[in-house]
Amino acid sequence: MSVTITHEDIEELCMGSVFLATGGGGDPYISQLLVTEALKKHGPVTLFALKDLPDDSLVVAVGEVGAPSISLEHLPIGNECLEVVDRLQAWMGRPISHLVSFEVGGANSVIPLLAAAAKGIPLIDGDGMARALPEAQMMTFAIEGIKPSPAVAVDYSGGAVYFDVKDAVLYERQIRNLSMAMGGMVFTAEHPMTSEEARRAVIPGTISFALKLGRVLKRFSGNAAHIEAPLRELFEASDYGQFKRLYTGKVVDINRKTVGGFDVGEAVLESTIDDSPPLRLTIKNEFLLAEIDGRVVASVPDLITMVDHETSAPINAERVHYGQRVTVFGIGCPPHYRSEKALKVVEPRAFGFDIDYVPIEDL
Amino acid sequence: MRIGIDVGGTHTDAVILDGHKVIASTKFLTSANVRDGVLGALDVILKRSGVAHHAIEAVMIGTTQFTNAVIERRELAPTAIIRIALPSGEMIPPMTDWPEDIADAIGRHGYMVHGGLTYDGFPIGVLDDAEIDGVIEDIAAKGISLVAISGVFSPSNPEQELSVAKRLQEKIPGVGFTLSHQIGGMGLLERENAAILNTSLRPLAQNVVQAFEDALAARDIRCPFYISQNDGTLMSAEFAAQFPALTFASGPTNSLRGASLLTQLSDAVVVDIGGTTSDIGVLQGGFPRQSNVAIKVGGVRTNFRMPDIQAIGLGGGSRVSADGKTIGPQSVGYRLVTEGLVFGGDTLTTTDIAVAAGVADIGSPDKLATLSADVVETAMQRMHEIIDDGIDQMKSSRDPVPVILVGGGAVLVSRDLANASELHRPEHAGVANAIGAANAQVGRESERIVSYREQPREEVLAELKAQLGAELMEAGAKEASIRVADIEETAISYMADESTRLRVKMIGDLDFSGSQA
Repeated sequence: MSVTITHEDIEELCMGSVFLATGGGGDPYISQLLVTEALKKHGPVTLFALKDLPDDSLVVAVGEVGAPSISLEHLPIGNECLEVVDRLQAWMGRPISHLVSFEVGGANSVIPLLAAAAKGIPLIDGDGMARALPEAQMMTFAIEGIKPSPAVAVDYSGGAVYFDVKDAVLYERQIRNLSMAMGGMVFTAEHPMTSEEARRAVIPGTISFALKLGRVLKRFSGNAAHIEAPLRELFEASDYGQFKRLYTGKVVDINRKTVGGFDVGEAVLESTIDDSPPLRLTIKNEFLLAEIDGRVVASVPDLITMVDHETSAPINAERVHYGQRVTVFGIGCPPHYRSEKALKVVEPRAFGFDIDYVPIEDL
Repeated sequence: MRIGIDVGGTHTDAVILDGHKVIASTKFLTSANVRDGVLGALDVILKRSGVAHHAIEAVMIGTTQFTNAVIERRELAPTAIIRIALPSGEMIPPMTDWPEDIADAIGRHGYMVHGGLTYDGFPIGVLDDAEIDGVIEDIAAKGISLVAISGVFSPSNPEQELSVAKRLQEKIPGVGFTLSHQIGGMGLLERENAAILNTSLRPLAQNVVQAFEDALAARDIRCPFYISQNDGTLMSAEFAAQFPALTFASGPTNSLRGASLLTQLSDAVVVDIGGTTSDIGVLQGGFPRQSNVAIKVGGVRTNFRMPDIQAIGLGGGSRVSADGKTIGPQSVGYRLVTEGLVFGGDTLTTTDIAVAAGVADIGSPDKLATLSADVVETAMQRMHEIIDDGIDQMKSSRDPVPVILVGGGAVLVSRDLANASELHRPEHAGVANAIGAANAQVGRESERIVSYREQPREEVLAELKAQLGAELMEAGAKEASIRVADIEETAISYMADESTRLRVKMIGDLDFSGSQA
């Protein structure tokens, strides 16, 4: 069944995508404003099911790269997403038949709707992360061996840069530095895919899932104990599979530590419901590891999300502070991230932690 | 001696303070024309105290007039907006996401011109004099004489806002304007919104400040007077007439500041126990800890920093279950005086429990004869747990903290609380807002994005301290008293160059000596 997204759905879609951003992804407020206006103007967008993709398609991933909190001050023009699509089509010399989001966690869940609505290019219901992750090589597109380029980046002044790079690691270095040099954020159209590649690499259904998740969060907003059951039902019926409440407690400490040469944050929680030992959360942009008594209870690429215990609103890692009453959920990642080649780039070691990945259902 | 006045929507409270000692206080009804209410309150405290008008060194006024005007969409003047940002922001023009009624009230006169800077100071667009002049001519043709000016990253570098303002003054003599960098930190839309609200309130602000001035002059009080702002520091009347929006949060702030002045505690948790809820706030260095989330004023998103206050569902009118185990959040509220058991009603409330436990003397205790000692004890424990838990959620470290109890429901707390190192119950807590207004500090803050790789931290801090220090001196602070109140640094996620959002706040003590007329 195909899902249609109207301007009235954007708030809920953003709520779901913030939950899936596992503490990262920034505040999607500006994107929410732009997309809401775009859908009011151009009408609703019906998501395209991956399984219906015709054989001769050209699928391109679109979204934003950089530091999302910068765009709350330095706003986008608003047409960059259309601009990257136009420029890549012109460069490649053929029309893009389908768009796809590269990251459902955070504002990149809604950004492709700007181009889909304005240009009438179908948007695939799916993405390349099923959550938020910090680097390009961590996308399922890269993991499946799809080259990031030809790719185009457009900055908030309308300037464009064209990429021809050999792999996602190099692309990541270049695009990260470019975004820094061009004001903090850039829009990109990248990872052109054939139909066969898209079917292999796109994680299906994640955009409509984020909307469903947002609806549950809105409908059951309130104490996290009450939202647990509807959330479990939703996640366990999806590709995410596992849904666990890892901990309910209060934040008793926030500190910085160095792991594998990286400066990372650590939040320590003490239980407010029983006498379990403290939960330690390791943070680098996102929540990456959850440990109790030195034992890992969830780790990247599985999802770790923290919500306010009283309102169930997801908490951004930048905003964690002493005294917050929170519930932490651990959620399995889709099978796309469980393969050996995928784990090589998204397991805890890829983030500098010297531990093996154990799927959340085995912990 | 100082006078503190709090002009609320319903009551105008006033106090005379000698140092920290309350000499006289009153609650008076707020009048439609502000002046009469202030005069009435002044007369009562001057008479009660016998203090002569010339002994008053300073008058401090807190007011919710401007917040109320925004909420009620009244007395908002037509205001134009010039945003310096193009090409960025083109599809998110000024007043996007505003409620229709308030956008209508202020008018929809948003303009955008080329300019603005990136986070690291690189130009986004180039200022174009012809473009700016075209906008100014259009504004002049509409007969608008109030303008808000915003620019991307103006808190880091205000030059472009200043340069547009200069042209504006040349072309429209007597124009009133607000520059966004004067009124807020990072977040363009929120800062711009604050600048628009501020500008549109300026005619009202001039009237209100004039009314205060008239009231004081009518009683021959010739000392300087100040208006209290969001963070609890003061601004001169002249400054307040230009920046009325800086008073939006002064109500809750003054209540917390009042608790601080009454107890002489600068670091404590303040619990204001009312009829239905308890509002818990935190004092840090004598000032309220501020909230980090975007605050809407009258439905408009702004980045004013409001005191971080948590309301929990326990007050003097909270309902208590028959077994004493469940308390609130339902409350009989103001009907406590008819529905509570001690008042002859039939609802068991927290006030009844306090009376039964022998810690409060309200109403008729004999109406509680059927209440079992077990239920009373269970409920007493639960009430203390709820308050203690609320304090723990708000305090910023594990250690117990001093707790100040204010509000009519403060009698509910009679036992030690695990999270409270000491409990204080100040006198005169009923006029805490007026007392909180009557402090003697001025404050200024600045926020910018910095990269310590580009400029060493010590150098950035020294630069900001010098800038804020100069502003404080200009605002009347004694040089020796100027100090840093708060430094906040937040690393920006996903930034490869370790950019940091830096906010510095400094305060200083006002110099009253020699300023007397």
